Amino acid sequence: MLKPKHILFPLVMIMLFAFPVVRPPLFFLTLCFSVFMFVGLSESWNLLGGYTGYVSLGHIAFFSTGAYTTAVFMNRFGISPFITAILGGVFSAVLAALVGYPVLRLKGAYFTISSLLLAVVMQLIFMNWDFVGSSTGLWYKLLPVSIEVNRILFYEAMLIVATAITLVVRYVERSKFGAGLVAIREDEDVAKTMGINTPWLKMKAFILGAFLAGVVGGIYGYYMSYVHPEVTFSMNTSLLILLMSFFGGCRSWSGPLLGAVVLSLANQLIVTFIGAEISRILYGLLLVVVIIFMPDGVMQYAKGLFVREKR
Amino acid sequence: MSLSYIIESIISGLLLGGIYALLSVGFGLTWGTMKVLNISHAVFAVLGAFVSYWLFVKAGLDPLLSLPLLAALLFLVGAVLYRLVIRPVQKARDVIMASMVATFGVAIVVENLMSFIWRPDPRILKPPYAGSSIFIGEMAISQGPLIGFIMAITSIALLYLFLHHTYIGKGVQATWQNPTGAALVGINPGTVSLITFALSIASAGVAGVAMAMIYAFYPSVQSVWTMFVFLVTIVGGVGSVIGTGLAGLLIGFIIGLCAAFLPFVWVNVLLFALLLAILLFKPEGLFGT
Repeated sequence: MLKPKHILFPLVMIMLFAFPVVRPPLFFLTLCFSVFMFVGLSESWNLLGGYTGYVSLGHIAFFSTGAYTTAVFMNRFGISPFITAILGGVFSAVLAALVGYPVLRLKGAYFTISSLLLAVVMQLIFMNWDFVGSSTGLWYKLLPVSIEVNRILFYEAMLIVATAITLVVRYVERSKFGAGLVAIREDEDVAKTMGINTPWLKMKAFILGAFLAGVVGGIYGYYMSYVHPEVTFSMNTSLLILLMSFFGGCRSWSGPLLGAVVLSLANQLIVTFIGAEISRILYGLLLVVVIIFMPDGVMQYAKGLFVREKR
Repeated sequence: MSLSYIIESIISGLLLGGIYALLSVGFGLTWGTMKVLNISHAVFAVLGAFVSYWLFVKAGLDPLLSLPLLAALLFLVGAVLYRLVIRPVQKARDVIMASMVATFGVAIVVENLMSFIWRPDPRILKPPYAGSSIFIGEMAISQGPLIGFIMAITSIALLYLFLHHTYIGKGVQATWQNPTGAALVGINPGTVSLITFALSIASAGVAGVAMAMIYAFYPSVQSVWTMFVFLVTIVGGVGSVIGTGLAGLLIGFIIGLCAAFLPFVWVNVLLFALLLAILLFKPEGLFGT
């Protein structure tokens, strides 16, 4: 049977893919680009943070690894950004594997702290490492096509990546792997007793999330044509990722998608028309409100309201 | 490299460590006793630095004189934050997790409020006496860190005395040891939590003034300060005032020793490695209870 969603989903996708054809002003293109980017980031964060409850504040480290990989490999070796984006993902995955083995043994707050430290320390290193441009950052060499074509190319690339990530996360959620991750969230010790290889599952989710974030970072860096340790490692991006997932509800793939679309649209609009600092203040407040009043996300909260009113 | 150079470096490291201890002591208290992990702790240190800076620059009020005023102000801020954010969060299923994420939001809010109101340029708190140095033989000890250290040790001692030798402080301790028992003998857990949390924020503010006499500060420096808070708290073990103090000094010693041989940034990286090692092999801290 043909359900509305079977028509709606391809329709939306076709419209998004065809969007650059109407030659939209740069503002709208960048707006959509940042929406896709945050969809990719919060979905990939959700693999570990949402399903297992291991809240990471270091996702930005993997994203930045991707951005820097593209910058370095393009500038020094002239390798195509589409290849370096994948390479950035691989580097992020390797980093995640190295860091993940010790860090994932930690539980709860200790894990979160370590992940935050990972981001802070990597920022410190990158700010003082001349090979990656230290505190002045790196400019990208652009591809030998016009800037407009460049932007459209990477708009499409990010759209594909974001869609792919969402589908991957959706697939994971419905697989045995996803069920194992949820079991870790519910009760890790019990899950272990039932014969679930929890360390390996956590590791897989961490590495997969890092890989996906690295790819997103690679494409982001190229689109912005500039990486800077203060900007790419910004704590505010970590906040946005967290907020989007919690706002939408981090128990299902649809939550981060909803959160990312709604909040990054709002974020871009506020940043453009009111100011970046105001938007961050509002978003910080929103995170507090979400945690206090709707810990299961806005959709569950709305459902709760609806049910209560019906009684 | 002469011996006196190394000793000088270690002494300034120890002075720094005392200040880190004060910066961390409140964080450890709320984590250990209220199960509230306050990631916004260091941002209030930066807030304290800013308030003290403005009182000094605009009103000509010496940072040492304005200290009681500042502590009272931040106590109030802490109390308000407790009522608005921490108390609702304490009802969550997983208090540590919820408080951590919520206060992460608070940290971003306060950081950006500060850069919105005061611009994000780096500043340094320089009362006239902070610039000069005391000489012992060949060694020079700058007065800024020395004054900060004295402030820190005094504050930690006051906090310790409050917790162990006053009526309210004993009530606070009783609640941590056995919440139900304390409630049964008529101690109001809400009030106790409020006092603990507000005190922790006030101590952060005072530590911020001490930090500002040594380092340049700007709103986003809070993430680096947070790193030191974690480091000291994890090394010292959660929830012990004396443990935090010792851990601060130990870390200061390590910083001083390494700073004699390495650029400062790599010292930070080294400290992170140390922290990871402790988390992995001795997560209850070196001086843990």
